[in-house]
Amino acid sequence: MDQESKESTDRSSLVSDDGKNSKSVLCQRCGSKVLCPGTAVLAEKELFLPSMRKKSGLSSTEASVDGDTLSAHWFVDDMYTFENVGFTKDVGRIKYLICADCEIGPIGWHSLDDKKSFYIALDRVNHA
Amino acid sequence: MDPRYDIPRRAAGGGGGGSANSSPALGAQSRRRKMPPRPADFKLQIIIIGSRGVGKTSLMERFTDDTFCEACKSTVGVDFKIKTVELRGKKIRLQIWDTAGQERFNSITSAYYRGAKGIVLVYDITKQETFEDLPKWMKMIDKYASEEAELLLVGNKLDCETDRIISRQQGERFASRISGMRFCEASAKDNFNVDEIFLKLVDDILSKMPLEVTNKELSNSVLSLQPEPEVPPELPPPRMRCC
Repeated sequence: MDQESKESTDRSSLVSDDGKNSKSVLCQRCGSKVLCPGTAVLAEKELFLPSMRKKSGLSSTEASVDGDTLSAHWFVDDMYTFENVGFTKDVGRIKYLICADCEIGPIGWHSLDDKKSFYIALDRVNHA
Repeated sequence: MDPRYDIPRRAAGGGGGGSANSSPALGAQSRRRKMPPRPADFKLQIIIIGSRGVGKTSLMERFTDDTFCEACKSTVGVDFKIKTVELRGKKIRLQIWDTAGQERFNSITSAYYRGAKGIVLVYDITKQETFEDLPKWMKMIDKYASEEAELLLVGNKLDCETDRIISRQQGERFASRISGMRFCEASAKDNFNVDEIFLKLVDDILSKMPLEVTNKELSNSVLSLQPEPEVPPELPPPRMRCC
């Protein structure tokens, strides 16, 4: 693991030697369990996720949406790997992933063009 | 919150059961890697159907306060959820589809029904017409759903008892006329009986299954992310809204 910044130092504590999540992935708001330890792989991919703040709207015109481009994600190739997760309806070719219990989100990203890729943004979840 | 529904969550950090939990002194970090994550034992698809406004979506939710992300909620909406329950020592992944927005009977594609192992049919105990719609929903179930699908009739909005129009007995009577249909009343608003609905349904589904079959066949019978695109000619395109 690269440790050039504080962020990646923090990150390395979340990743086991085999590149998987060493901790449970939990909803930041309600603690609902999204992934069990050792079930997802750390992946670098730049993905735009609309803001989790209440006011911003998820609309199909991305230009008007407030959000972040995030690059560190937990990747799984099968949706049944998730303990609990919700999928929004389609926004273009994207489905956003949300907490299955309190529905906060988006916490992740899935493209309908790649049925074997599901991403959960590290910055949008807790690890414990 | 029903603790039973939350078993996976409370086991945070344990990666599912079966670990060396008898030795609390062991370093969790070094140990953890040696336990392979426990996969789900079963995967089941459940759909929630019923007339407009009966509270189908609320049955999928845990919290009904307004603090969740409005962006997801009202603009885009939730398509389906993966939820994990543990029952009879098995870990079961549920894929739960809410058909809200497709309430006109014929606008729900047959694909939703076809793969469902459990069907939750909801009416509103304060609205006569939602109860009168039940036979029409049953027709759809008869037409498209697997004969083995477990059926559960839910009279929702028990929190509005003072406005009740449909008696508990009426609901019971309707369910008793359909073989194998279970009945309960619930309040999604108060989270009363909501988790039980899913647990009950899953329990029924599990008890019907010969155990050897389940693991192999089920994992393959699970629907993919989207219902099959194929739509029978007599049905309008999926996701049709009424206005």
